[in-house]
Amino acid sequence: MARPTNAQPLPLMVLSLGFIALWLIAAAFPFVWTAWGSFKVEPDFFSRSDWTNAITGVQTIRQTGSAFTGAGYEGAWLEQEFWKSVINTAIVTLCVTVISLTFGTLGGYALARSGYRYTFWILIAALIFRAMPHVTLVSGYLLPFFELGIWGYLPTTIIVLVAINQPFTLWMLHSFFLSIPKDLDESAMVDGCTRFQAFRLAVIPVMWPGVVTTGLFSFLLAYNDFTVTSMLLTQENQTMVPKIASFLGSTQAEGKVMYAVAAVVSAIAPLFVLVLFFQRQIVSGLTAGAVKG
Amino acid sequence: MARLNLKNVNKRWGNYVAVKDFDLDIADQEFLVLLGPSGCGKSTTMRMIAGLEDVTEGEIWLGDRMVNDLEPKDRDISMVFQSYGLYPNLTVYENIRFPLRVRKVPKDKHDEMVMTAIRMVELEQFMHRRPAELSGGQRQRVALGRAIVRKPTVFLMDEPLSNLDAKLRVSTRAQIKNLQSKLKTTTVYVTHDQIEAMTLADRVVVMNKGEIQQVGTPTQIYDHPANTFVASFIGSPAMNLIPGTLRGGTFTGDGITVTGLTAPDGDMTLGFRAEDAEITESGGQIAAPVYAVELLGEASMISWRLGDALVSVKTAKDYRAETGQMVEASVPAAICHLFDTQTGKALPR
Ligand SMILES: Nc1ncnc2c1ncn2[C@@H]1O[C@H](COP(=O)(O)OP(=O)(O)O)[C@@H](O)[C@H]1O
Ligand SMILES: [Mg+2]
Repeated sequence: MARPTNAQPLPLMVLSLGFIALWLIAAAFPFVWTAWGSFKVEPDFFSRSDWTNAITGVQTIRQTGSAFTGAGYEGAWLEQEFWKSVINTAIVTLCVTVISLTFGTLGGYALARSGYRYTFWILIAALIFRAMPHVTLVSGYLLPFFELGIWGYLPTTIIVLVAINQPFTLWMLHSFFLSIPKDLDESAMVDGCTRFQAFRLAVIPVMWPGVVTTGLFSFLLAYNDFTVTSMLLTQENQTMVPKIASFLGSTQAEGKVMYAVAAVVSAIAPLFVLVLFFQRQIVSGLTAGAVKG
Repeated sequence: MARLNLKNVNKRWGNYVAVKDFDLDIADQEFLVLLGPSGCGKSTTMRMIAGLEDVTEGEIWLGDRMVNDLEPKDRDISMVFQSYGLYPNLTVYENIRFPLRVRKVPKDKHDEMVMTAIRMVELEQFMHRRPAELSGGQRQRVALGRAIVRKPTVFLMDEPLSNLDAKLRVSTRAQIKNLQSKLKTTTVYVTHDQIEAMTLADRVVVMNKGEIQQVGTPTQIYDHPANTFVASFIGSPAMNLIPGTLRGGTFTGDGITVTGLTAPDGDMTLGFRAEDAEITESGGQIAAPVYAVELLGEASMISWRLGDALVSVKTAKDYRAETGQMVEASVPAAICHLFDTQTGKALPR
């Protein structure tokens, strides 16, 4: 009986490992499949005769002489100018994240520290806005934007995305701030800080993980948005996601659909890097047990 | 130069009155303790002094400045919070240095000032740790160190010991008392613990429901409670209070008769302390079956149920009696306090 007392019984361990394996396969398989297939030609990846062609690349070898081809990437990035969409996406996501975080942190802090009743109603209103399908907002915007002549530009889209995202950042940061005891900023104010200095020097350092997490979610919202960007942007200002959709929508010409596949892989890759890079900040236990006795 | 003056200070939230007509002069170098049950407005009063809460009505004077409209940072006070409010991302050293940094004290003086404070609160070994790596008592001392580092004119402490265990509380209490007598800084200290109040204070302010009940030295408060609230709040056990009537100098209540009192006739509440009365063989003012015998270690406590009142008397630690047995206690007029039952106010003796 040398078994440590906290070891799980064997069947339970097998079961939980099985679950994790299953989940990994379900989550990772589509990505691996797509990434692999993006280096093949269309008759392989969408093979009608034999699905293993997508793995072995029979048609790819026949057409290009090698099992892998960068044709999809070349076509998407250069011929179809996918790089422009990448730049547009970068601009939109960066602006949306920075603006949402700025307003979210300041507003969330103010709401968390204000003793007034109306804060509750502001937060409820924010929740209602958040709950509405995005398309209801966008359809309302279309006509005024046409009339004002601001339809199709990036800044317009950025403003709309910020408006959609703000309630969420406000909620999230508000609850983060609530979890930080008031004693912290009050100590700082007694120690000689103005309200804003207390916020900057005492609260923000503790808030950092919360800001990173919220920023990541804001980033993802802007990065993945389809509804707003597809309806509010002109062809040449398109971001990645609507651009990919437009590739898929034009399957008449053979090979175009491989542009979409290549573009999809290009769009997913940065997300992996991002999450890997920030995971430590997200889980960082800066605040653990620091303020309470 | 650090007298603190509160002139008829009031705090209201809507209709709710948290502090009412608080009027007090705190002398330079005085150690003043605000004592009262939880929710009586002690913290609110202290937070108004700190500038963390607006004053609804009245004035607060610090020295010769009216500070009502000053920001907390401009009042030259420091405060120790109940949960310490340490900066979790900074080390002990940096926590204590923080006030110097934000107040733009010349950099070359920082190290000396911080080290002096660290030595006073005995944290030399821990100065490079973060708060998360400290015990409750050590965190508490960091908060103290941060409060004393820049030599403010007034210290405010809001229940600084309430998160510590009983043993640590006693030693930290002594340390606070020692620090204050060395630094001679005017101190306002909030607590709901009467022992803390009695041991630390030059003067105690007893509060209830937002109002001052009595101001006085610990001895005055203990020996001459101004009303039934103070009598029932101070001392362990609290003063025995028995309702009854006074006729011609004789007090009569359920199971008790005391003669030789000098006060006008009327409905009175009689009070006496458990340690002043004595168990006696015969001729006692109380003669009733024992309700409980409790052993306290250094003494025994006998209690009776007289009407609705539970009355206790302290006696020798080897005294033994059975529950229900008839026991008498002598309660001479000399140890008795009389309170007007209507107003609760003490009558002059
Ligand atoms: N921001 C606030 N809004 C409304 N009521 C408050 C607020 N802060 C404190 N109170 C009320 O004021 C009363 C006194 O509080 P406080 O001064 O904290 O009591 P304590 O004597 O325990 O320190 C309490 O009943 C509390 O509920
Ligand atoms: Mg309090």
